[in-house]
Amino acid sequence: MGAVKQSNNFVLGLWDHEEVFLHAIEHIRHDGLEIYETLTPFPVHGLEEALGYRETRLHTVGFLFGATGTTLALSFMTWVMAFNYPLNFGGKPYWPLPSFIPITFELTVLFSAWGMVLTYCVRNKLIPGYVPRIYEPRTTDDRFALVFDIEGKSGEEIEKIKSLCSGNGAVEVKNRTFKDGE
Amino acid sequence: MVEKFEFDGKLKKNLFIMMGVGLLGLIWAFFANGVHDNHSRFWSNILLNTYYFTGMGIFGIFFASANQLGYSGWITLVKRVYMSLSGFVVIGAVFAAIIVGGVWANYHNLYAHWSLAENMKELPNVKQTFFAKPFWTARVVIYFTLWILVGKAVINAINAKNIGDQKVYKRSKLMAALWIVIFAVSESFVSWDMVMSQDPHWYSTLFGWYNFASYGCGGFAMAILLVIFLKSRGYLQQVNENHIHDMGKYMFAFSIFWTYLWFSQFMLQWYANIPEDTNYWVKRFDVPLFKVTIFLSLTINFLAPLLLFITKGAKRNLKVAAFISVLVIFGHYVDFFNMTMFEPNLIPAGTEACCTKGEGKEGEKKEAAAESTATVLYAQADAGTAKGTVGKTVVTPEKGSTDANTAEGQSSNEAAAQTEGEAKETKAEEGKSETKACCAGMGKGECKEHMAECKEGKEGEEACCGLQTKASLGLPELLTFVGFLGMFLYMFFNEFSKDSTFNENDPYLKESLRHHVEYA
Repeated sequence: MGAVKQSNNFVLGLWDHEEVFLHAIEHIRHDGLEIYETLTPFPVHGLEEALGYRETRLHTVGFLFGATGTTLALSFMTWVMAFNYPLNFGGKPYWPLPSFIPITFELTVLFSAWGMVLTYCVRNKLIPGYVPRIYEPRTTDDRFALVFDIEGKSGEEIEKIKSLCSGNGAVEVKNRTFKDGE
Repeated sequence: MVEKFEFDGKLKKNLFIMMGVGLLGLIWAFFANGVHDNHSRFWSNILLNTYYFTGMGIFGIFFASANQLGYSGWITLVKRVYMSLSGFVVIGAVFAAIIVGGVWANYHNLYAHWSLAENMKELPNVKQTFFAKPFWTARVVIYFTLWILVGKAVINAINAKNIGDQKVYKRSKLMAALWIVIFAVSESFVSWDMVMSQDPHWYSTLFGWYNFASYGCGGFAMAILLVIFLKSRGYLQQVNENHIHDMGKYMFAFSIFWTYLWFSQFMLQWYANIPEDTNYWVKRFDVPLFKVTIFLSLTINFLAPLLLFITKGAKRNLKVAAFISVLVIFGHYVDFFNMTMFEPNLIPAGTEACCTKGEGKEGEKKEAAAESTATVLYAQADAGTAKGTVGKTVVTPEKGSTDANTAEGQSSNEAAAQTEGEAKETKAEEGKSETKACCAGMGKGECKEHMAECKEGKEGEEACCGLQTKASLGLPELLTFVGFLGMFLYMFFNEFSKDSTFNENDPYLKESLRHHVEYA
């Protein structure tokens, strides 16, 4: 996204077992290589730690949206029931807090759920109309893939990447080139 | 690889000391209110602890069964901890037998609302059938028999050494499913029979669920504490913070679930404002102790886990997890206290016992007088002393709403005035004289005099004291709890030491051993 031109040349290492894959990531990162993207057919426990990703901030977003929902629900009902149009319902006080709780709860959940989903989609470019790049179709089947960006890298460096992959149990190593706009 | 827990003499000694302390607490509770007391504090303490710990025990098997059915692997290392919680059920059965015996001998007033023939008459016909002593006893016997026998079979099926065998594994799943059905039905029924039936005039349709959530919180908290204890003793070393994290998640989730049910029960009854429903809350809000326990349990069981235990870091920290577990165990004790202690320890309005308790302050005299005016109307209806029950009960909802509002800290003078007005109106209709508010603001001698008046046939017409209670959350309660905890832990370790700490042949063991192993 933005001004940075996207790379079109990649090397793909493919693995067929998650544990070998995780150890390979460990070794490859240990050798100082930068991993551009990781693709797995299912969530792999320990992958984030192996890749050294920092903890997601999505739950903070969830809390902020949730707090917005809580505040909105409570303040709106308070304004309506206690100030704008006070009515006597079955002898209850004009500010019947217990009866606000279910609606407040629902709005909290609604806001935090939608807020998190939308934030997640925007952050991961899952917006409608965006066509993602398919590096390797088999990563949705039985292959675990590491993607390396080789734009502007020397042949020696590319060879090093390839040999590290196959040396760490990759069942297949190949180049992947995209056309502009693909 | 096979490790077995060794239940050594020192630990046994400590647990026996705890039981001794508990015995002391029970004796204290027995004589706490004098020799001529009906010892309600003693009996209600027994009921409370028996019910609480038995609930934790049967929940332990339920949780292991649910995981067995769901093919969940992470729990395999700690599955025996959960299942061994059920060791206490045998002791629970003994105490339940004592309680049942007391019902037949009319020796205690835990279930006075139906165990006494004259009170039974005031129940609707269906309830009279349901609470007929033989039927009630048969049910209690069935629950405990099923729990002990089927529970044993389920534990054996899941613990089977040859569980790697397809047939044996399938059998363990079948037994787990059987337990879930038995547990689901018996757990609901036992909460009605042993707790809700203390006030058979009141009912809540989600009471079984509500109690189930309480068992769950208690069971999860206990399991976390026990796993941490076993780890500190050098057992279950493969259990790491990932397992504790998951156990903590369940405790957290069940705390929220409990709150959901608590609130559902409260809010619907507060909103609908039906006399039979609000009765439960109004009575409790009227007694300061129970007003405190209601909000104390809500704070500890909801706010404490929500604020202190929501983050990943807190759940993975053994010290924080242990602290919250202790809080949750205490919180649910308070919750059960609030349910089981009220009815048996109630001092009915218009008895001399009020005089020693109800001396109010001069400044509060006017207020208290207004309050007890309304109070007595349902107090009498409840105690079954008044004849024209219907007319009096009508006032209850008004009182109920005002009271509940006060609890929320938003009572308006307007509403209070309305209540008072309506209460007076009702009295006028019944042609009553000016009601005297006894005890509140009276000296001791004056109160006794007034009580004597009450006894001379004016009872039921004169307004006597508001509700008083003999219950208290004091040292006898604490000591009794410690004693029952000692028994619970003894039975747990006894059951746990019978076999290896986890089933080393479980097909899902590897998943548990490698649960979230960090690769960094």
